[in-house]
Amino acid sequence: MRNKKQLLFTLSMFLFVVFNSSSQELLDILESEAPKPTLYTQATFKANRILTTQSVETRKKGTLEFVLGTRYWNIPNNDNSQSFAADRFSGHLASQYAFSDRFTLGAGITSFDGIINGFGKYRLLRQTIDKKTPISITLVQAISYFTRNFTIFTLPEDSSDRFSYATQAIIASKIDRNLSLQVVPSYIRTNVDEPVSNKNDFLALGFGGRYKISNHVSIASEYGFLFGRDEGSDEGFNLFSLGVNWEISDLIMQFSMTNAKGFDDIGTYKINPTNFNFRQGSLHIGVNATYVLHLKKRKPVLIE
Amino acid sequence: MNKLNNNIAIVLLLLHFGLYSQSNNRAIARQGQVSFFSYTSVENIEASNNQVLSIIDQQNGKVAVRVLLRAFVFKKALMEEHFNESYVESDIYPELIFDGKLIDYDASKLGDSLQFIKGTMDFHGVKKEIEIKTNVAVTNKKIVLSGDFEVAIDDFKIKVPALLVPNISKEIQVKFRFEYSPYEK
Repeated sequence: MRNKKQLLFTLSMFLFVVFNSSSQELLDILESEAPKPTLYTQATFKANRILTTQSVETRKKGTLEFVLGTRYWNIPNNDNSQSFAADRFSGHLASQYAFSDRFTLGAGITSFDGIINGFGKYRLLRQTIDKKTPISITLVQAISYFTRNFTIFTLPEDSSDRFSYATQAIIASKIDRNLSLQVVPSYIRTNVDEPVSNKNDFLALGFGGRYKISNHVSIASEYGFLFGRDEGSDEGFNLFSLGVNWEISDLIMQFSMTNAKGFDDIGTYKINPTNFNFRQGSLHIGVNATYVLHLKKRKPVLIE
Repeated sequence: MNKLNNNIAIVLLLLHFGLYSQSNNRAIARQGQVSFFSYTSVENIEASNNQVLSIIDQQNGKVAVRVLLRAFVFKKALMEEHFNESYVESDIYPELIFDGKLIDYDASKLGDSLQFIKGTMDFHGVKKEIEIKTNVAVTNKKIVLSGDFEVAIDDFKIKVPALLVPNISKEIQVKFRFEYSPYEK
């Protein structure tokens, strides 16, 4: 009998504690009530391009970007050069527009090689922050139109042969808040035999990475491997770039060291006459400035 | 002694039933609104979140708020990315949590009035005691809390790069409005 009473007493004490509305209890209710929206990973890379090659990233709907790219390099054995700072310069002007959160079209033109390029990007799969979808996939179709001879490239006679195409599937993952990596299986179709002889179809594998070193600065690098190339001969070298991405409000600055002379999606993989090193004629230093303009602004519902 | 124990048990049980019925005095706001504003001569930044969760216990005046930072909508998509990635770091600190109490709360005198809420704001890894002036309005037994206050970004260790200091106000103006309806499990 006494035991029963004690049990009743303890039980009442216990219930008393349970049903007294504590702050923690209120917070727990809110936790259980919280909707769990699907949130996509933001900023796997900072711009449409890692440095020169395409990244998995596209912009949100209604975003127009202007890109001004520059690259400077010296020509070897040119000690008596009278040039200021660098012997050669190439400039690239491009623009890209996001028609939706998934689809972007872009076009550009480069001064040194005279290549006019265009590309379409479609985000097939987006990584989510709960890692239920651990990767993002973006498909890229790029086209380049060659307009003149340069370095190891000779312009074909027939104008329809001056087109080259690249089809890419970019598979990327933001591994943690600082590190993002991507792999890019690519198929490149050219109608020119040069510079890699007797071949029109190529497979290439691109790699890209970003490591965030502060809230506004990250280190980026990319590598492009072209299958079937005899590196070191007249066929050129594989692409390698190392650089820094720095964002300042609506402007993204990408400083890079690379062995690419081009800015388009085919030239950078295929036509690099020099290897990446710090010797004269090999090191290309560049800055890409991307300005982001929001043509379609969203309307947050603000409290008056 | 046994008799006393018995009585205490009965009293406590009754008290517990009383409290249990009072637990229905909780009211929840599922679509609470929070907006914030940073006005400088260089740039105006405005954002809003209309999915804020808040709960109030009408018995003791305790209030809790959870704000999902990713749910803030900005005019520019890039601002939203920068807000999450570079300023509030919502990947590490996804929520702002407020836990407080209406000062000198008297359930029997609940009505339209101006009151103070005192509590702890847990934001960007920093817990800070704050006191907020709030408007209380009661219509058809529905409670509406609204008001505004300022948050100093330095207090919550939000770093702004030197180049962008002129773009972002040191004091962010925050407005809120919560409309509560009875909470049922």
